[in-house]
This record gives sequence, C-alpha cells and structure tokens, in this order.
Amino acid sequence: MSADLLPLFVVVPLLAAGALVLLGDPRGLSRTTLLGVLGVDVVASLWLVTDLRDGPTVLAHAVGQWPLGVSIPFAADMLTALMLAMTGSLTLVCAWFGVVSQQARKRFFAPLVLVLTAGFNGALLTADLFNLFVFVETMLLPSYGLIILAHRGRGRLMQVTSARIYVTVNLLASTVLVAGVALVYGVAGTVNLAELSGRATEDSAVAIAVAVVLFALSVKAAVVPVHGWLARTYPFMSPTVTALFSGLHTKVAIYAIYRIYAVVFDGAEEFLWVGLVLFSVTMVVGVLGAVGEQDARSVLAFHMVSQIGYILLGVALFGAAGLTAGIFYLLHHTVVKASLFLSIGAVEIGYGRYPLGHVTGLLRREPLTAVVFFTAAMSLVGLPPFSGFVAKLSLVLAAFGEGRTAVAAVAVVVSLFTLLSMLKVWGKMFLGEPEDSAREVLGTVGARKPRIPAPLVAPALVLVLVTLTFGVGGELLLGVAAVAADGLVDPRAYVEAVIRT
Amino acid sequence: MAIALTVGVLVAGGVFMMLRRGMVRVVIGFMFLNHGVNLIILAAGGADRRGEALGGSPDPATTADPLPQAFVLTAIVISFAVTIYLLVLAVTGDADDDTDLELTGREMETPTFIEDAGGSTALPADELGPRAVRRTGSHSSRRRRPPGGRP
Amino acid sequence: MSLLVILALAVLLVPAAGVLGRRAGRNAGWPLAVGLLALAGGLVAVWDDRADPGGVVQQVPWMPTLGISLGLRLDGLGLLFGLLVLVIGAVVVAWSSRYLGSGGHASFYTLMTFFAAAMLALVLADDLVVLFVAWELTTLCSFLLIARSGPEGRDPAIRTFLVTAAGGLCLLTAVAVMWAATGTTRLSAVLADDVWDASPGLAAVVAVLVALAAFTKSAQFPFHAWLPDAMVAITPVSAYLHAAAMVKAGIYLMLRFTEALHAVPVWNVLLVSVGLLTALMGAVLALQRHDLKELLAYSTVSQLGFLTATIGIGTEYAAVGAAVHVAAHALFKSALFMAVGVIDHQAGTRDIRALSGLARTMPATAGIMVLAAASMAGLPPLLGFVSKEAMFKAMAHSPAPDAAVWLVGTVAVLAAACTFAYSVRMLTVLPGRAPADAPREAAAAFLAPVAVVALAGPALGLAGSVAEPLLGAASTAVAGSGAEPDLGLWHGWSPELFMSLAVFGLGGALVLARRPVDRVLGRRSFPVTGVAVVEAFRRGSIALGEQVGRPTRSDVPRRHLMPPVVSLVALAAVGLLTVEVPGLYGDPSTVTDWVLLVLVLIGVALALRARSRVGLLTIAGDVGFAVALWFYALGATDVALTQLLVEVLTVVVIVLLLNRLPSTFHRTGEVRGWVAAAVAVLVGAGAAAATWLLTDRRALSPAGRYFLEEGEEQTGGTNVVNTILVDFRALDTLGELTVLGVAGIAIVVAIESRGLLPKRPSPITEPDASPIRSPRDNMVVLRVTARTLGPVIVALSLFFLLRGHNAPGGGFISALIGAAGIALVYLTAPDDRVSRMRLPYTRFIGAGVVVAVVVGLLGLLEGSFLRPLHVDVLGIHVTTALVFDVGVYLAVVGVIVAAISRLGVDEKEPLPLRHAGSASSVLHSGPPATTTTSKPHSRETAPVGTVHDEQDRTRPPLPERPDPFRGAGPAAGEGH
Repeated sequence: MSADLLPLFVVVPLLAAGALVLLGDPRGLSRTTLLGVLGVDVVASLWLVTDLRDGPTVLAHAVGQWPLGVSIPFAADMLTALMLAMTGSLTLVCAWFGVVSQQARKRFFAPLVLVLTAGFNGALLTADLFNLFVFVETMLLPSYGLIILAHRGRGRLMQVTSARIYVTVNLLASTVLVAGVALVYGVAGTVNLAELSGRATEDSAVAIAVAVVLFALSVKAAVVPVHGWLARTYPFMSPTVTALFSGLHTKVAIYAIYRIYAVVFDGAEEFLWVGLVLFSVTMVVGVLGAVGEQDARSVLAFHMVSQIGYILLGVALFGAAGLTAGIFYLLHHTVVKASLFLSIGAVEIGYGRYPLGHVTGLLRREPLTAVVFFTAAMSLVGLPPFSGFVAKLSLVLAAFGEGRTAVAAVAVVVSLFTLLSMLKVWGKMFLGEPEDSAREVLGTVGARKPRIPAPLVAPALVLVLVTLTFGVGGELLLGVAAVAADGLVDPRAYVEAVIRT
Repeated sequence: MAIALTVGVLVAGGVFMMLRRGMVRVVIGFMFLNHGVNLIILAAGGADRRGEALGGSPDPATTADPLPQAFVLTAIVISFAVTIYLLVLAVTGDADDDTDLELTGREMETPTFIEDAGGSTALPADELGPRAVRRTGSHSSRRRRPPGGRP
Repeated sequence: MSLLVILALAVLLVPAAGVLGRRAGRNAGWPLAVGLLALAGGLVAVWDDRADPGGVVQQVPWMPTLGISLGLRLDGLGLLFGLLVLVIGAVVVAWSSRYLGSGGHASFYTLMTFFAAAMLALVLADDLVVLFVAWELTTLCSFLLIARSGPEGRDPAIRTFLVTAAGGLCLLTAVAVMWAATGTTRLSAVLADDVWDASPGLAAVVAVLVALAAFTKSAQFPFHAWLPDAMVAITPVSAYLHAAAMVKAGIYLMLRFTEALHAVPVWNVLLVSVGLLTALMGAVLALQRHDLKELLAYSTVSQLGFLTATIGIGTEYAAVGAAVHVAAHALFKSALFMAVGVIDHQAGTRDIRALSGLARTMPATAGIMVLAAASMAGLPPLLGFVSKEAMFKAMAHSPAPDAAVWLVGTVAVLAAACTFAYSVRMLTVLPGRAPADAPREAAAAFLAPVAVVALAGPALGLAGSVAEPLLGAASTAVAGSGAEPDLGLWHGWSPELFMSLAVFGLGGALVLARRPVDRVLGRRSFPVTGVAVVEAFRRGSIALGEQVGRPTRSDVPRRHLMPPVVSLVALAAVGLLTVEVPGLYGDPSTVTDWVLLVLVLIGVALALRARSRVGLLTIAGDVGFAVALWFYALGATDVALTQLLVEVLTVVVIVLLLNRLPSTFHRTGEVRGWVAAAVAVLVGAGAAAATWLLTDRRALSPAGRYFLEEGEEQTGGTNVVNTILVDFRALDTLGELTVLGVAGIAIVVAIESRGLLPKRPSPITEPDASPIRSPRDNMVVLRVTARTLGPVIVALSLFFLLRGHNAPGGGFISALIGAAGIALVYLTAPDDRVSRMRLPYTRFIGAGVVVAVVVGLLGLLEGSFLRPLHVDVLGIHVTTALVFDVGVYLAVVGVIVAAISRLGVDEKEPLPLRHAGSASSVLHSGPPATTTTSKPHSRETAPVGTVHDEQDRTRPPLPERPDPFRGAGPAAGEGH
C-alpha cells in the first residue's frame, strides 16, 4: 500500500456518507453502503498491517504535498494500523448488529456511523495536533447525533440528559484541547508532531503546553477524576451506539496519549509516576463504581473506566514490555467490551430494559446468549483461555519486570472485583429463578422458544470467537503488538518518515 | 498584557456561566469560553505583529502570523456548529431547559413488556416506547419494584 | 506417543463428550470412561519407556514474545496425580451414567471431561503460566458445574468462584514474582534456581502466596467454607471435583513447590498450623452434621488439613506420607461419595436420622460403605491405615523441637480420633429395622464402579508393594532419592503405632459416648461461618461501590463539568510553579487593547448578573462583537468578519428558541453560585497566566514565514489566510465542513427524535384594538427592506465567495452572509405556516460534502489528496480551491437552513410525545407503569411509554413497521 493512499481511509467513508445524505438516506441503499464501506475499510487496514509487518515500519504522506511544517502529515506505523484494523472490524460488527436490530432503519444512522469512522481513521492517521482536534470534532458531531437517535417521536428524556452531559463535557475537553494546541504553537512555533519530537524534555514550557493537550485527552479517555460523564452517558443510549462508542471515542484519546507521550516526551521517566498514581486510582474507582451500579449497562459502562486505567498503565510502564502489554490490552478491550454491550443489547431488545433482578433465570431459555455473555465476561476478568488472560498476564509481568510491585498488586486485586461485578450481572440475569417477564412469557408463548433471535446474538458471538482466538493463539497479536511497541519506544522511525515526506 | 487579561475575563465568565443552572446559560458560558480560547490562539501567533496578511508579499516583520488566524477560523466555525446543537438540546427536554433534573436512571426502563404480535424479530430497545401493547395476561400489576426508587 | 498427543486427545474428548452427551444421553458415561482409561494407559506407557529417570520433557513455543512456551513434563508426582485424575474420573463418569436421569446431559459430560483435561494439563505443566492457566480452568469448571445445578446453585457457585479466583490471583502474583526473580517461567528451572536460598525474603513472599493459593483451592481454614457450600452440586460433581481431583490441585501445588520451599520456615509453620487447625475443625464440624453428603464434605476438609500439615513438615517421610494418603483419600472418599449417591438415588434422602436398616435392604452398598469408612477411619489392614501410619511417622520424626512435635502429635491424634468417630457415625445408618418403604438395592451396573474403588482400599492395604513403584516415584520426585515408601502393615513398635492405638482408643470412647457428644456438639456452632464472611465481603463491596459511584450518579451537567475544571486549575498551578520562559519578544499591547479589555469586562460582568433570557442574549451578542473588534485589532480581518456573522446567526437561533422557554432563568443555589465563582476566577487567572507566559516569546514561526513569503506564489491567492484554509491545510477545512454538515443532521435527528417543546403563549397581553397587537402589520418596514435587501445580500454573498482567494471573504463568510439573507426572509414571513423553507437542506449538506471530497480526489491526479489544480479558463486563472469553497458554501447554508427551518416553525403534525407543559394533547391510558422522583422542580416525567399512539392502534401490527409519519418517498420528511 503506497503512502498517498492513506487519506483514502478518511475520504471513502466521508464520500459515502455525503452521497447517502445527498440521496436522502434511502433505507435499502444506506444499509448495504454502510456494511460495504466498513468492509472495505477493514480489508484495507488489514492490508496495511501486513504491509507494515513485512515492509517499512512507517508509511508517511504530506496531504497536498506541501513542505514539512506547512502541510498536514498523515503517518501510519504498526500501532496505527492495528487500531485501524481492530476498530474497523468492531465498527463493522456493530453496524451489523444495528442492521439486525432494526437500529439502522432510523434515519441518518448509516451516514452518521460513516462520518464517525472517517473521523476516527483521520484522528489515528494525522500527525498534526490541530488536525487531531479537527478530526476529534469530526468524530464528536456524528456521535451527538447518534446519542439522541431514536425512532420518530420515541426519544427518551434520559437520552437528552445524557446527550447534554456528553456534549458539554466533550465540548469542554475539545476547547481545552484546542487551547493546549494553541499554547504549543505559541511556545514551539509548530503543531507538527515530528517537529515537536523530544522537545518536551528540553523545554519546560513545551512540556506544560503539551500537558494541557494530554489533560484534554484524558478527559476524553475518562480517567479519574474526570470519569463520571462516561459512566452516566453510555448506559442511556441504544445498545448499538454504546458498543460503537466503547470502541471508538476513548480509544482515540488513548492512542493520542500513547503517541504524544512517546514522540513529544520521548517516554520521559520523570513524569511516569503521575501516570502510575492516576491510572491505579482509575482502575480501583472504576471497578468499585461498576460493582455498585444497578443495571447491566451501567455496570459495564462504569467498568470501562477501570479497563481504561489498565490500558493506560501500559504508557505509565513505558518500555518494550509495558507498551506491548498496553497495546495488546487496548486491542483486546475493544473486542471484549463491544461483545459485552452487544449481548446485553440483545437481552434488552428481547426482554426490555430493566434494572438487574427483574429479568432473571434466562440460562435455560437463552443458552446461546448466556454462553456468549459469560465468555466475554470471563475474558474481561482475565481468565484463561481468553485474550483477557494474555493481556492481564503481560501487564502484570511488565509491571513486575519494572519493579512496580504496588501497581501490579492493584491490577491483580482489581481483577477480583471485576469478577465480582461480572458475576453480579451474569448471576442476576442468567442464573436463579426465571422471574417476572421471563416466566410470564414462558407461560404464554412456547416455553422453549428463545426470545432473542440467533442473528441478534451473532455479532457478539463473532467477537467472542475473536477473543478466544487471541487467547489461545496470543502470539498472533502479541508479536504484532511488540512491533508496535518498538515503534513507540524508539519513535525515530516515525519522526524521520514524517520529515522525509 | 491586555490580551491575557481579556482571555482571563472571558474564560472566568464562561466557566461561571457554564456551572450555572439552565441549558441556555451553559451554552452562553461555552460561547464566552470559546471567545477566550480563540483569543489565546491569536495571541499564540505573536500579538506584537498586527499587519493584515493580504497583498502580494506581506512583510514578515510587521504582518501577523496567518497560521493561527486559520486555526481560529476553523475553531469559530466548529464551536458555532456545536453551539447550535446544544441550543437544540435545550429545547428538546421535557418541560424547559432546566438542567437540575433528579432522575434515577429508571426512566430509561421499558415501561411495559412488548410482545411483537407476529414477527419473531423484536424491536430495538429504544423502540420499546409507547407502541400499542397487546397485554399478555394480568402482567404489570405484579411488577416488583425495589423499594425507594432513588438508589 | 508424546505428552502433547495425550493432552490433545484429552482436549478432543471434550467436544466428543458434548456430542455423545446430547445423543446418547446418560449412557455417554461408559465410552467416556473408556476414553479416560485409555489416556491413563497412554500416560503409563510414556512413563515406562522414558529415557532419563527424572521424567519426560516436551517444549512447544506458545507466546515467544513473553518468553512463554507450552512446556510439559511427566515425573513421578505428575504420574501419580495424572493417574488419580484419569482413573477416578473414569470411575465417576461411568457411575454417573446410572446416576443421572434420562434426557440430554451434554453440558454435564462436556464440563466433566473439560475438567479432567484441565487437571491433566495442571499436573503435566512444566511452565508456570501453563500451570496457572490449568489452575484457572479448573476454577471455571467448578463454577459452571455448581451453577448448572439449578437456581439454588447460584449463590454457592458465585461464592466458590470468588474464593477460588482470589487464590488464583495469589498464584498469578507468585508466578510474576518468580518470573521477575528468575527470568524464566520454566517450572523445573525455577524450582532448581538458587534464588530460594539467595534471598530468603523473596522465598517467604512466594511461600505465602503459593500457600494462600493452595489453601483456597484445597479448602483450608479460613477459606474452607466454599466446599460444604458447593455440595449443592449433583453427587458426581461432588465425588470427582470436590473430593478426588480439584481440591487435590492445592495439594499438588504444595507438593510441587516443596522442592524449593521446604526449608523456608514461614512455609513450614504456615502449612503445619493451618493444616492441623483445619483437620481438627473439619473433623469436629463433620461430627455435627446430619446430612451424609455434608458430613463427607467436612471430612474432606479435615483430610486435606492432614495432608497440608504433613507436606508442611517437608522431610522425606512427609513426602511419602502425603503421596500415600493422597491415593488412599482419593479412593475411599470417592467411594463414600458414590455410595451416598446410591443411597440418595435409591432412598431419596441423605439424612442419617431418616435412614436405618440399610444393611438388610441394600447389603452390597452397605458392604462398600463399611470398607470405605473403615479405610477413612484408618483401621488396618486397609490402605487408610497405612497412609495414616506414614503421616504419623512423618510427624513423629520431624526435625522440629520436641515440644512442637508433641503438640503436633496430640492435635493429629485428636483429629484422627474425631475422624474415627464420624466414620463410625456414618455406619449407624446400617443397623436397625428397615423402614416401611424400604429402598431397593441398586442395580449391578450402578454399584460396579463404586465397588472397584472401594475394594482397592483393602487390596492395596494388604499388597502394598504393588503400589510402591508408583508412590515411590512420586515421593522421590518431591523429596529426592531418600524418600522410598515401604507400605507393609507392620513396622515394629514405632511411635506412629502408639499414636494409632491412641486414635482407636479415643475414637472408640467418642463412639460409645455418642449421645452426650451429639448433645454437646449440637448446640455450639461457630459464631461466624465462612459463608457469612464471603457474603459480607460481597455485600460490603457492593455498598462501597454505591458510595464510590454516588458523586457521579447525577444528571446535572454541572456535577460532570466541575471535576475537569478543578483539575485544570491544579494543572495551571503546577504549570506556574515549574515553567521558566524567555523574555517578551516584542511589545504586545497597544492603547486600543485596553479599551477593548474594558469593553469585554463590562459585557461579561453584565452577562453574569442578567436574569432575563432576552437580556442575557443581547449582552452575549455585544460581547461577541467586542471580541470581533479584538480580532480586527489583531490584524485578523477574515476572522473578525466570520466572528461577526457567527454572532449574528447564533443570536438568531437563540431568538427562535426563546418563545419555547420561560422568560427568566431558574434560581441557582447561593452556595453553588459562590463555589462556581471561586472556581471560575481561578480558571480565568490560570488562562490569563498561560496566555501571558506561553505566548509572544518567540520570533515568527517558520511555517508563518513560509505562508507570508510564498503563499501567493504557490497558490495564486493574495489572501494568505484563505490560501491556508483552502490550499495548504485544506484537510482542516474539509473536517470543519463535515462538522458543520453533521451538526445540521444532528439537529434534524434530535428534533425528530424528541420533538421541540411547545411554544409558550406570548407574554404580550395587548387588547385586540391596539395597533401593535398583530405582528403582521408591525413588520411593514422589515418586509420592505427585506424585499429590497434580498437580491443585494445574494449578490454580496456571491461576491465574497469569488473574491475569497485574494481578499477577505471565502467559503465561510459568503455562506454566512447568504444564511443571514435566508434568516431575514424567515423573519419577515407573515406567520409560521407560510414561511416553511422550500430548500432541501439535508441535500445541501450532502452536496457540500460530496463536492469538497470530489475536489480533493481530483487532487490525486496531481499526486496527493486535496492538492489544488490550477487551470486557465477564458484567460481567468481558476483553481479547484474555489470549487472547494463552493462545497463549504453549500454545507454552511444547509446547516443554517436546517436550524432555522426546524427550530423556527411548528411541526406539521405534533409528535406523539409532546405532553409536557401545554394541555396534554395525547391520551393517557393504561396504568402509568413507572413513578419518578417527587423533587419539586422535577416534572412529572411519566415516561413516554404510557402514551398511546393513536395511529398505531388502528393499524394492524405488522412485523416490518413502516414509519407512519413518513410517506412513501424517502425525502418526504423534510423540506416540503
């Protein structure tokens, strides 16, 4: 794949979205276009991954071919390619769930998801801070639409209140981000990541300016103490949208934090303690909050905060082992969390949305959904033979390898509470007496007929198979994650590629 | 120095309005905040050079740095787009744009159990609103509510 | 046949069990038993033709990046436990083919074979990570097997999972510590490493962690509660997992690590003390029980305590004692469990008080129980006696000081005496009269497997030498060559013989005084039970979780905006303390700046105190204009123009909303006001300091210099800012254009999803006769100007579009001017119905995006996306950047029209849910299902669900629901 095709990752979904809106979002065409374009996106990113693994480690391209510092550079190294591939396939699966659950029948669902994908791909590929702000906004606007999306006249009040929180917090984060970028330009005279490489360690002013940018990104990544908004907004959207957001928004912020810290701070040792403290607290607060929530999706949403703590721990343990573990965890979490949201979504669609304890005893009636949710939950907890185990093991080994025993201990104890929260959800929903609406349905419409049609659970099942393959064959992903980690530990290849364009 | 103070005033005013009650006030708070940040961007270009960047070859010693101006143009337009959307959110609530709502998260519940008459394909979660419901047996009276709705 | 093949076959057995379970139902047990036995045979075959006496080793790379390989090693210990797992597994599976009812048992057989494979992997593992993986898989299987035994199995299963998972995590930490210390995860290498002697601290830490992991798995005190709790599972599971195999995983782990940790004092003390305490407590609790299965559960806890204590001693004798007792316990305990299963299956109850006279009604089962119970009690000539002797011998000859030896000896004798007592107590069901509905004797096929295991007790007891090679290999693998077992019944008058005699004496006394002992034990139950502890942990963490989640469990945006703002203040403070910056580069401020500062200050101050919405709106507009002046003063004319127009249009949009909102703002609490003020001032100060310190301290940036010097030459445009927007950084503009377009779509989505608040009655209460009553007549001036200004605005807009490249203008400014014209046309419309916009705004947005992207793609012809092309048309130099600006124009106009069209006018048909505020236009019928909070300012927000949608009831409910509001055509919804 030649470097100047990189912008196509942004352009193709954008063009498809524009065309769909231009044609008035015809129902049949929008669904096929959505799945088609996302399929092409996944194939292209997989091609990029294989290309980078064998050929040059970084592909870079100046959009518009203007000289360095003037044009906006697109650059893709192994980490970018992996994120593109994993999140592209996640979006494809979520879109498939949207189509199956008639979510895609709502007006403008397909164009909004396509613009979201375009924005995400752009934010990953760009190596220019201001352009990162623009692409983050390009991702946010369609999400504002997707939150409130509902069949005509059926939007709920909770969607509006959660939209208000989501928009205001993300607007604040974006405003702080653009202020940070401005301060970086004010101090360093450039917003090009390659030109900024290593300057934060030389000049404290650049360090503070980039710290503002990192702060804005950590608000978007819902690190403690700014985690509340995620736990309060994600549960109150439709299931497809929650699964989509879980794989996109926080991940782009995490990617940017990885990239900026590796390139601009050059993995400086002296600031890592801040990360260790913050992310440990995030892990603990996230999992405790999750245990205390009342309904399934709130538990899973609050859980994301904790898992983000784990992922960002990879940065705080800056080094080949730590980054490999962090990147693996990032990719594993994308798959598993979406699978959990999609299976809970299937249950919500089948049995309606209630707090835990209302719909119980579904194991007999919905064995497939029960197994899919349980597998994903155990992977999240980090039990073998799933990818979660490999992720947690590599993270703990990395932490011990660098002598950070306290953090490793926190990571281990938190996974016990993770297990507690997952058992709380799975236990209440699938074990126990078939309660209320489940039994009541049993009475009327054929006791054995599952309420959740198989195609509705299929997307979650596919993601579970992925987590199983990466669990048993961990090496598949670990090898590639190690290559990506090397690209971060020594960013010279990335910087020179951007400078050479 | 004046630019810095103006930024300070705008940001302080914006944050204060943002933390008040009522969606329109929050929106106007964000407008002030955006004005402040736009001034920061322009200041980043160096406020001592203020010539207009027009004409054949503007003299770099006196002309203002054009790059932050392009940034500000983009930032203004983006914040305008988000501001309109926020304003729309202000008027799609239930009663008015009050933001101090004490909700229990239970309002998102599916009020009645939905039985799709014929088809096996169930309706999406938020579709389960006020559709006409075929009651299946005496059902909702037995609904068990955990005591004290607000957790 | 290598180890890997055996393990692969074991794993393949799992899907086979699933298929067989579904098709053959309960009879799937027999083929599976044969399969397991074949594997056992394979294991022995590999062991016999092994090359080096130590064992067979095999390495397969699994995760080289982490340095982990799938290492398998078969040594004596592995062989003993492997055979134990496979043989007992085969027996239990064969037995359960008669125990289970009819119907499909796919999940039961799958999980049982999966468990067997996991245990086999555990005992063959030569890599710490493979060991941990197998350990966790057994935990998973135990949870699933308990959970599938019906609704009442939920809580015990969860409790068991929590305790055993906690142990697993201790093991994970131990693995990580060992890996960090020795750099490898190979078990044999780690155990042989000299780090154990080098750093005693590390050895102690690993010892504690491994001990904790073993204690949770082998149900030692204080983690013993889950084993009796897990008796809710069906008997085959109890017999196999919770007696013979899974609980032995802990014992195996301790035996495996004895090689490295036997000299660590912490390890010895911990294991011996906890082991003996558990042994005694388990035996006493077993005496209290009336249910046979529970009695056996506590008996298992007690026996495992014995084993732990013996391993804790760490000498050669200890290894021998442990190995022999492991085999003996597995045999008699599984036999007893299966016998109890048979009784339960035939008689329907397991309660000692309800059963009697079984000797007469079920003689064969009775015989088996006698043999097994006798072996448990440790009576000669059974294997139980030999193993107990070996353990007593280890205790008697331990190197510890004499006082400790005597203490250990007495406690062991006491526990063994209680064991004797409850073994005999189990047999009390045999004598006496048979009850009226006497249970019939079980079928031969049902009893055969039990008999095999039960008879092994006396057989091995008498002919001990048969088992010596196997047990010898195991004990030598653990404690070196000196640990050779001699399993004869008579070893002369040794201390262990006296201990055994004391046991029989004391045990007999306990049996004779059965009634007073029952009365004494009956009342006194432990103040706190293990189950209560785990429940308390679970409920406590959930309550703690609620507290942790409470501050963020609110829907007030302020509560979610406050943390980022406060953290920003903290960041600013840190920045101020640590940053050093060069001096100012030039003199940044002029006189006009201070005037503008004062202007902005007044505007913001007024805005803070504004109470009415219209008031705040006008003041906000003024502040916007003041900032536009600032931009003009800083030499950014394009930006000032854009700011002006954006301010105008924002005010127009807000005006459209005012008549849907109350005229004044809600009162914010006093305290909240002051807190917000304080935080706001701090943030403002931080921002001002950042601007002051971090800007104006360097020369013009290289990029800025490039744009000024070569901007015109490269792009042909003299308006440098515009050339940046549409040429150099066209990607930013493309993103920005998309953002605007999608904002328009998001507005349409939001309005269609929830619909707008109904318009409030206008506050103007003028009498009909008064001239200013009707709005139409008062707009004559506006209408005339609009009619004349309309074409001028359109011309002006096109003019700005075309000259954008060379002078202030460009896509955004021209579009905003055009949009202002449209707003003017809307404002002058006589009333809402007439003024519906005819423009299909969503298509404008789509067109804008498509045009911009296509122009960008054209750039690919010349090498890169968004590369402007220059072409001369009729002598005029035209660049594709202009077409790009047209795309921007379309998108911006689309957004504004969308906002004005959807916000300004009322819906064609009111959406079904609009019931708040104005008179409820929709019927409330059907029971209001949910109530909401009673807070005064929260509206009665009965969810939309209770509202019936008239259109839907009349329509026949179709699975594929066409949207009733949208006609056939795709774009019917908007624009017309």
